[in-house]
Amino acid sequence: MSERPIIRTVRDVPSADLYTSGHRTCAGCGAALGYRLLLKAAGPKTVVLGPTGCMYVANGHQFLSSPYSVPWYHTQLGAGGAAGVGTAAAFRSLMMKGKRKKEEVNVVVYGGDGGTGDIGFSGLSMAMSYDYKRFLYVLYDNESYANTGIQASSTTPWGASTTFTPTGKIKRIGNLRMKKNVALIIAAHPGVRYVATATLFPPLDFINKAKKALAADGPAFIHLLVPCPKGWFTDPKYTLDLSRSALETGLWVSWEYESGEFSLSYRPEPRKHVEEYLRMQKRFEHLTSDKIEEIERMTAKEWDYWKEMDRRKIMMIPWIAPPLSSSQN
Amino acid sequence: MPKTASKSVVKNLPKRFMWTGTRAIAEAVKLADVDVIAAYPIRPYTGVMNSLAKMLADGEFAAEMIGADSEHSQFEIAKHASAVGARTFVGSSGVGLAYAAEPIVVTALGQLPVVAMAGCRALDDPGNFGMEWNDVLIFRDSGWLMSWAKDPQEALDMVLVAYRVSEDRRVLLPSFVAVDGAAITHISAPVEPPSREGVTRFLPPYKPQYPLDPAYEPVTKAQHIAPSLIGPELRKIVDNSMTQAVEVIQEAWRAYAAFVGRVYPPFIEEKYMEDAEIALVTMGAYAKDAVHVATKLRQEGLKVGVVRIRYFRPFPAKELAETLGKVKAAGVVDFSYSFGSTDSSSVLFNEVKSALYESSSRPLLLDFMFVGGREPSVEHFEQAVRLLQKGSGKGVIERHVWWPTLRGENQ
Repeated sequence: MSERPIIRTVRDVPSADLYTSGHRTCAGCGAALGYRLLLKAAGPKTVVLGPTGCMYVANGHQFLSSPYSVPWYHTQLGAGGAAGVGTAAAFRSLMMKGKRKKEEVNVVVYGGDGGTGDIGFSGLSMAMSYDYKRFLYVLYDNESYANTGIQASSTTPWGASTTFTPTGKIKRIGNLRMKKNVALIIAAHPGVRYVATATLFPPLDFINKAKKALAADGPAFIHLLVPCPKGWFTDPKYTLDLSRSALETGLWVSWEYESGEFSLSYRPEPRKHVEEYLRMQKRFEHLTSDKIEEIERMTAKEWDYWKEMDRRKIMMIPWIAPPLSSSQN
Repeated sequence: MPKTASKSVVKNLPKRFMWTGTRAIAEAVKLADVDVIAAYPIRPYTGVMNSLAKMLADGEFAAEMIGADSEHSQFEIAKHASAVGARTFVGSSGVGLAYAAEPIVVTALGQLPVVAMAGCRALDDPGNFGMEWNDVLIFRDSGWLMSWAKDPQEALDMVLVAYRVSEDRRVLLPSFVAVDGAAITHISAPVEPPSREGVTRFLPPYKPQYPLDPAYEPVTKAQHIAPSLIGPELRKIVDNSMTQAVEVIQEAWRAYAAFVGRVYPPFIEEKYMEDAEIALVTMGAYAKDAVHVATKLRQEGLKVGVVRIRYFRPFPAKELAETLGKVKAAGVVDFSYSFGSTDSSSVLFNEVKSALYESSSRPLLLDFMFVGGREPSVEHFEQAVRLLQKGSGKGVIERHVWWPTLRGENQ
């Protein structure tokens, strides 16, 4: 592999934005910020595929304006993987057959958690089983179907209130499913060359992971946690603080898996209590302190695994006893 | 003819092969130098993908071939490869097409010249290898061109013409080339493939107007819109394309005839219609059986003609009204159903009926529904003609819709 394209300081980040004005995302939108960083990392020789979701509907609509300075095409909600493969296959075929100049073109899919972890999961898995280079799928995870009005997805955390998992007079917890770890599942695809998780803080971490992913020798996947003021019921000014708090409380684990080696990108030591992160968000405001402690217990247990994985440089599947209160509701 | 001349003619005759419909279509895909192929198995279409995979393994031509995880992904792959500028091939059958409904719909609205083979098969449930047209016809309203071949030779020809028509900038719509399951997909017949050089001239490489490629100006395609902005205008583009396709299809078949020497009437093929009083109207492979029955019954003095519809979209309403205006009674030999439609009849029947509505001279119109996959016999077609004859004699008929292959009292 060629020299790692690492950006060491914020000053070295390209000043040109390929995701620019012309969209109407919410103030403090984490997913939009992720788009901006991603396209800074990918550069102009890139095609972007956008499955239906927040980053489809909120990036267009009103004035026929487009925020993209690179070729961009919508794809259906469950079609991110297939769209990426179709696009990459076209470039490889046309170049192989001499119908197009040979050069490196990035194919990037930016899909939400519903489109990636739920309806598009089969196609994503198919895409990760082929060998297309410079092909990166980024899952921007705002932990709900935020575009349609905050319905729970399979990556919504336990205890979150959503419009499909509201709390009520007899249901006190909200979402009873535990968050699916999509990146771990993708790492189980033998053809995948680079898997990482990231969040918006620190920004260089995500930019560099995206650069590494595109320079990998095959398909790559990044699971990006993006705070969502609309769905998490947070003040727009706290988006980056939430990213940071997710890391510091250990509720989001930033890691990389490359060439068979696992490594943590950040170790929260000492790890802060999850309460700090949860209490910033109204979607968790109904949780009583015993439920918060339940989440703290699960997080601590999970971290035993993450530290062990980091120490041994191998992938393991964290096993956490489900919260007792799930069955009792 | 002098002996020497006839010998040289024989020598120069193009080579003929015994090919199934799926093999013939695979040969067309190879001749068209398709760049990206997306596959997923389902009978009876899937033989085409087996053939293509073997051709690629043997180095007969070069393409990227993806075995997808589903028909949904399969049609998405073709759509997105087409948007970059690749010539693409895809296909399916039965419930596979239903599974791919979402990408099928957006491919047409995205104006992408994907060509798909449909190996017509009954929809589930229960699983059924029989032949019905509903798997394709559920997309009749979505902006795909649809043609029905009668045999492997025409299937090959239709695929090459489909690429030419679909990629024409006056059209830019995807095409289904439908072939009847088993009767065409699995039955071998003589096929004469055209020369590769000839095909290259007939079908130059696809060059999209706005490729999704950073080598060109950046394009934002299918951005979400407020419906009030350009919603109706976007629909009208597809509608205009469909209208313009009528002329482009005629041009393409003329050019194809000049190139290969086989002449097809573009929209409807007529047999014995010059003096016919009764007509059978159908599409696909069973038109041959209808012609066989007509030939036989003409020996009895019955003036039977056959009309074979080659394109369901755009639908040849004018041509049908003209030719059926000459007969007293016509029967639609139909492998589709449309439960609860007018007379609870079928898709093709309703379409033919509406084509005749404005006509001053309308025949009695009967529907013969061969549904559920049970294969018809020539006796069924004969019975159909006799019913038509009875009706045309009286000038009136009480019952319009018949299920000839159904067992039990309802028939």
